[in-house]
Amino acid sequence: MSATADTSQPLLSDTPLSELPALLLPAYGETWAMVGIVMVLVVVIGGATGVLLYNTSPRGLFPQKRAYGVLSWAVNMGRSLPFLVLMAAIIPLTRWITGTTLGIAAAVVPMTIAGIPFFARLVQNTLNDLPQENMAVGLVTGSSPAQIIRQTQLREALPGLASAVTLNTISMIEYSAIAGTIGAGGIGFLAVTYGYQRFDMTVMLGTIILLIITVQLVQFVGDRIARSLTRP
Amino acid sequence: MIEIRDLHQSYTGHEGAVEVLKGIDLTVPEGSITAVVGPSGAGKTTLSHCISLLEKPTSGEILVDGSDLSRLRGRQLRSARRAIGTIFQHSALLRRITVAENIALPLRNLGVVHHEMQDRVAELLDRVGLLHKANAYPGQLSGGQKQRVGIARALALRPRILLSDESTSGLDPDTTAQILSLLADLRTDLGLSIILITHEMDVVRHVADQVASLSHGRLAEYGSLPSLVADQDSTVGGQLLPIAALPLPAGFDTALDLAYRDGDVDPEWFTRVAVDHQIRLALLGGTVEARGATALGRAVVGVRAEQAQRAIGALNGLGLSARVRSDAGRSGPLGTTTSIAGTDPAGPPLSVAGQIQTGATVGATA
Repeated sequence: MSATADTSQPLLSDTPLSELPALLLPAYGETWAMVGIVMVLVVVIGGATGVLLYNTSPRGLFPQKRAYGVLSWAVNMGRSLPFLVLMAAIIPLTRWITGTTLGIAAAVVPMTIAGIPFFARLVQNTLNDLPQENMAVGLVTGSSPAQIIRQTQLREALPGLASAVTLNTISMIEYSAIAGTIGAGGIGFLAVTYGYQRFDMTVMLGTIILLIITVQLVQFVGDRIARSLTRP
Repeated sequence: MIEIRDLHQSYTGHEGAVEVLKGIDLTVPEGSITAVVGPSGAGKTTLSHCISLLEKPTSGEILVDGSDLSRLRGRQLRSARRAIGTIFQHSALLRRITVAENIALPLRNLGVVHHEMQDRVAELLDRVGLLHKANAYPGQLSGGQKQRVGIARALALRPRILLSDESTSGLDPDTTAQILSLLADLRTDLGLSIILITHEMDVVRHVADQVASLSHGRLAEYGSLPSLVADQDSTVGGQLLPIAALPLPAGFDTALDLAYRDGDVDPEWFTRVAVDHQIRLALLGGTVEARGATALGRAVVGVRAEQAQRAIGALNGLGLSARVRSDAGRSGPLGTTTSIAGTDPAGPPLSVAGQIQTGATVGATA
């Protein structure tokens, strides 16, 4: 019980605090690279899907029962698998797209596939919260569907959309950590290989603290942006 | 001018087709206001959606200055919609852009050049008295101000027709009065045909030229406001000037319902009946008010049975229609208003005390 810092057994001991930044920072960069790429794809594809979901729904600009049903079913499909299962299940697809099943590129595929339906629903819900009369105003003033989507849907929903992006980003940080278990790199990979498999408390605590700070910061910034987009 | 001809609208639901509008005919000439009233579920909203061309009727025509707009599609439909300005119940302003930008939006989407757009927006803001609020956001305005911005936006594209769908619901009485006088001015100044869809009878009484009452998808009554008020058989007439009559006092046993007929009623009728004809009358309730040059009025008076027929003759000679109130229509205890059919969810607008007061006052309240 006296061996508090026995450096003669490097494999079983904790990483010295001084070496922690050298481990954490590159991994942290990898995490953000993954989340960043995924979020760009998710916002573009998931956003468009969400707009389509809303506008084919009975509340939307061009209600299409069948199209809405199909789209809604596909979105539910994408959301019904736990991320770990989804990731494992689509390995052939991942390999086909990226040529590998390891690293950032391989993690981006399942993360994007999980993120798109999630974001699509968030966008649909945000648009659902807008007053129905707004759309009628666009229609009775002779605006085109594209003008209505841009002006009375997306622009009015911007604060809500900012919150949706925040929520989704935090989810993607979490997913990136899960992706770490199959060797995707990033802070999750670090936590699993050092913290979990080598019982390295320093790295474990370091990653936990870093993740907590990151999520708090993302939420803080997201709230700030949403508030700055809200008009009195 | 807008003419609605034999308008039908049905929806197919779980229990088959439901016909919501069963043949509506309505004409709103230039420079006049037609109020459409009726209980919830009568078809007001459907009619409103058909007029604003948001819904296609199953059959019938909507003619604006002679051309049918109800069958158009696509680009033609979009440009036809611009001929009809709509004011919404909750003003429906976009919250993230300023008042001026809200009014400019229809113009911008039409492709109006920038400086013309700015001139037009300033003109409209001036028209509704909100030039100083141009750069405010809708969230910084009161309910009445928002509604005035809504009106300015509806006018932006110089429509011939203005449709107001419950636009004064939820506003306080003073603000409602301001909005109504603005609408009345617009009717006169711009020669607009205004359709006012509402459930508030006070609103109708203050601005409508014609009144159409919807019931189960049909027009139950349709006519000029004075003619409906003058018609004792008109349910809407009774709702427009509701009377909660006092019970008959001792010595009186017959109640007479009176209505001012169109045209010349002698304002001294009460004295003339009493003095010239030596008939005792008890004033039990009533409302008299000016409507432009005409007087609108309804009253309930008590007489003695043996004098009833003479009283009716005398009143007829003075320009009032009179008839014996049937027992079924007689008011119960003070404060209950059995004479008013329940179409107004907010209840009759005036209390019994208010009735007595207005009944006793002949003057301009409009």
